[in-house]
Amino acid sequence: MTAQPSRPVEPDQLDPHPATGLDDVVHQRVRLGILTIAHQARRVEFGFLRTALGLTAGNLSQHLTVLEKAGLVGIEKGYEGRRARTWLSLTPAGHQALQDEVTQLKRLIHQIEQGGGPARES
Amino acid sequence: MTDASLPASGTPRELLAGLGELTRRVRAAQRGAWFPLLLLGVLTLGGILVTRLTFTLEPVPCPPTDPTAGTGCTLARQGSPVYWPVGLALAYAATAFFYIRRSRARGVGTPVRPYILTGVALVGLVTATAVWSLRNGMPQPGEPLDLWGLHLDPASGMTRFLARLAGNATAVGLPLLVLARVERSPGLLLLAAAYLAIELVPLTTGWSGIPFTSPWSGVPRYGVPGVLLLLGALGFGLAERSHRRNSV
Repeated sequence: MTAQPSRPVEPDQLDPHPATGLDDVVHQRVRLGILTIAHQARRVEFGFLRTALGLTAGNLSQHLTVLEKAGLVGIEKGYEGRRARTWLSLTPAGHQALQDEVTQLKRLIHQIEQGGGPARES
Repeated sequence: MTDASLPASGTPRELLAGLGELTRRVRAAQRGAWFPLLLLGVLTLGGILVTRLTFTLEPVPCPPTDPTAGTGCTLARQGSPVYWPVGLALAYAATAFFYIRRSRARGVGTPVRPYILTGVALVGLVTATAVWSLRNGMPQPGEPLDLWGLHLDPASGMTRFLARLAGNATAVGLPLLVLARVERSPGLLLLAAAYLAIELVPLTTGWSGIPFTSPWSGVPRYGVPGVLLLLGALGFGLAERSHRRNSV
């Protein structure tokens, strides 16, 4: 068996760093929390999210507006008796965005554990 | 819950660990297996009373192919053809109602639909099999048993296994496996496996000292799985209560 001479890797042959694949809309920790809860719950009420994430109503509303504008969540308002209720569910794009985020985070961890070299697609 | 539930903005590993913790908390809020277990346990123990109240003995001519049977034979009849189908259908409807109400009260969706749909479908299948058996009657000695067109030897181990399978193992045990899957509960999976083992393994009831000709012959048959389900309901109920106390 003969050793192959190593060829220099051109910069455009490197895969992008996993951190560049993180979506700013999704990566923000509160919004990531909202997406995670909605993914598991399928349908979640505003009050549950507020309690679970320890947020004020105004703060949570701002994050939900960002996610709704990005098309990642659907918001449904209605009444239960006289009580107004707001329910939230993930859109297919939201499910995909969350999955992509988790994948990128895992790649990032893998890269850190491998010593910081560039991650490659398998 | 407090804002400690928010994923930490530290390393990616801390962030993922925070998401895992959030997921676990949502799953805990969704769980409610104690309720269907309680209903199914009560229904199963109710089977003892039904077998007692419907128990009859009637003299029948002995089969001519069995010379050892003597001149007079007695047939013991027990059980109601409507108790299990109606009872199980009501139990699944009540479970669906319970989970939906709880989902609205807690503000978090429920994943219980696969459990209810599987349960109702399998109760339908088991009921259809029972109706088929009733319409085609019991086979004469030496004749094959007609089960959905399959001509089976009534004395074979496979036929006896199928008879056990076409009962509560299918209508109660298999849906419990689905519930364990949707609730991601290893404890419930263990309980469902133990229930299926009790229903499917050919255990004799001689240990109870109650002969099968006794009006109380349903005690060992329904007592063991019924108590198992009730103990499961108690265990999951206490675990849920403890979890709610800790998260306040």
